[in-house]
Amino acid sequence: MEMMSGQQFLLAKLDDVARWAQASSVWPLTMGLACCAIEMMSVTAPEYDIARLGSEVFRASPRQADLMIVSGRVAQKMGPVIRRLYDQMADPKWVISMGACASSGGVFDNYAIVQGVDTIVPVDVYVPGCPPTPDGLLYAVNLIQQQIRQGGRGGVLARA
Amino acid sequence: MHGPLGMMEGATSGNQMVLSMGPQHPSTHGVLQVLTEIEGEVICKADPEIGYLHTGIEKSAENLFWHQASTVIERMDYLSPLTNSMCYVLGVEKLLGVGDRIPERAQQLRVLLCELSRIASHCVWLGTGGIDLGAISPFFYAFDLRENILDLFEASGGARMHPNYLRIGGLRDDVPQGFLERLDDLIAKFPGRMRELRRLLQNNPIVQDRMVDVAVLYPEEALAWNVSGPVLRGSGIAYDVRKAFPYSGYENYEFDVPTRTEGDAYARFLVRLDEMDQSMRIISQVRKALVPGPVMLDDTKVAPPPKEAIALSMEALIHHFKYVSEGFRVPPGDVYQAVEGPRGELGYYIVSNGENRPWRVRTRPPSLYNLQVLKKLAIGELIADMVVCIGSLDPVFGEVDR
Amino acid sequence: MPSPQAPPLGNHALDPTALRPEIDDARIERVEPSGLRARLQALKSEGFTTLIDVGAVDYLERRPRFDVVYHLLKLPAAAASVAAIGTPERVRILCGLDAGAALPTVSDLWPSADWPEREVFDLFGIAFDGHPDLRRIQMPADWEGHPLRKDYPLRGPGLEKTPRPDFALKSNVPAGTPASGKTAAALAKQIAKIRGQDKA
Repeated sequence: MEMMSGQQFLLAKLDDVARWAQASSVWPLTMGLACCAIEMMSVTAPEYDIARLGSEVFRASPRQADLMIVSGRVAQKMGPVIRRLYDQMADPKWVISMGACASSGGVFDNYAIVQGVDTIVPVDVYVPGCPPTPDGLLYAVNLIQQQIRQGGRGGVLARA
Repeated sequence: MHGPLGMMEGATSGNQMVLSMGPQHPSTHGVLQVLTEIEGEVICKADPEIGYLHTGIEKSAENLFWHQASTVIERMDYLSPLTNSMCYVLGVEKLLGVGDRIPERAQQLRVLLCELSRIASHCVWLGTGGIDLGAISPFFYAFDLRENILDLFEASGGARMHPNYLRIGGLRDDVPQGFLERLDDLIAKFPGRMRELRRLLQNNPIVQDRMVDVAVLYPEEALAWNVSGPVLRGSGIAYDVRKAFPYSGYENYEFDVPTRTEGDAYARFLVRLDEMDQSMRIISQVRKALVPGPVMLDDTKVAPPPKEAIALSMEALIHHFKYVSEGFRVPPGDVYQAVEGPRGELGYYIVSNGENRPWRVRTRPPSLYNLQVLKKLAIGELIADMVVCIGSLDPVFGEVDR
Repeated sequence: MPSPQAPPLGNHALDPTALRPEIDDARIERVEPSGLRARLQALKSEGFTTLIDVGAVDYLERRPRFDVVYHLLKLPAAAASVAAIGTPERVRILCGLDAGAALPTVSDLWPSADWPEREVFDLFGIAFDGHPDLRRIQMPADWEGHPLRKDYPLRGPGLEKTPRPDFALKSNVPAGTPASGKTAAALAKQIAKIRGQDKA
């Protein structure tokens, strides 16, 4: 970006502006499944406050959300529902797999839990913890913002 | 044909429509699908569909040692994890025959933490209940109070949720330095915060309009549908497991069991608010009565050796090795242990066949039965009242689906 | 998971029910399937207004194999004070039955039995005659097997690793896309930058 001296406007690349806008307003989908959802609610609470990172609202409709935070264990019945929600989200979209259960099945290595939501949807950031502290989720959103600023998918920590 | 993504077949007549609420919904308090048939705005039939969070916890518990199983069991009612732990360890202690030898300090701290857990759970209920109705502010106040409680859990148990602090035989360790001072600060802060929370919602005409005379449950129905907790007490039956079948020293503390007779959503709302006050009353009494002493049973079979001894004593090392790799055996038998959770009577039917693993842990989940009555409660209400119905029942799906 | 060096200790009790009278958590009765409904009806008319829970246990090697466990509680219908409740009576009814047998439903006596009976059917395979809507409740409708039976493997039948579900196949990034190597290269570059080696 450059400011032309004496003039009242600044120049920037459209890509940069678009990425800045996207990164500053990542709106998550309200998809709380289990215990991690409660920590996700704590993240919206005043102590951790995700709104200051740009996630001012959590949208219930997948059409209006950018980020799907899979917060909690994914049961066999819930798998197709998550896939359908992911497909309904408009591009560009990102996915955070929050917690051990969403990332890999967690403590529940059994018939009932899908062993990792990345068997269903592509995941950008994995957050460890059972449940992760809200700080962990804030850091994950920071990483998503970093990925966005570096150019959509394919940032350092994403699946290429 | 019903199904998770399918609608009810069979065209309905006239103005009727089939609407699927959930399983992803901002106000269903978790993964619930309610298949509703509505005529205009009035609900004719509501069929909740559960199982979207079925985790196989009971089967996992059968494959873990007795002291490991409490980690998965704690994840059932994830809004008040210590309640699950409490019920489980009490049941196992009965099977072991050590239920009356638990040190007094451990019992007191257990009561303290369970009541804190109850307040934390009701904070989530209050906050999300407000959001369901469109009142966003109480959520922030309630969660601020909850953060104080979670700080205490983190200090004592190591984690904000699921600390696995309550162990068979007592507690994992005594509370750290500074814990009691922070607890005193919370006790001092609580009345003012509770006044604010009440002022935000209790006499608000919109809240009253939306909750009074909605989702009415009569006492005979409440018993037939086997609801418990604030849902039952809001319908006029003062059954509280802490009073009826006292455990862990609850008989030593003075507290009331708030009961209302109207049976509507507003009655349950008031009951839960009053319960938060009563919980703090118990906490203050426990704080004053807290005695010094050990927090773990002095029984080498059940208690792990102290960490300091392991490096110095061969017996302690062997004991620790066997404890961790083999667990301990619980004499054969079965027991039904119930505690009063924030949602009602939480019970575990624990069967031991003499091995080092539980044979069966059957949960009596209060939320399952509380949610089942939705089939009856929602009929005749407006579709906009569905969230009030569900919110007033306060289900937690980790418990419903396990 | 328990250590593989510590298999079950063996020497276990085949029928551990009702072995501990000193625990005294409930009055325990064992009832045959043929007499179950009559007994429960009698208890209901005695004042046991609440069916606290219906559950099942699989004892595998014992005959009868399963136990369906009914917990009942005697609560008065109008008791607005703690004193009026007192210490209610609890009853535990154990009903043993073999695999493939069915029990009569009690969902007409207590409507709260609806979902728990469905759950017992879903997870154990025990059918309830006369149930208005007996279908799976926790597992998906097309699931095969009854997971809480003792001979059902913990991780599901024949699965070494949970396979990729078939509903993961539609996407703009196909499931199963292997890592392209760009990630590894980018990571190496980032590490080099942090270590100051890219300038060298």
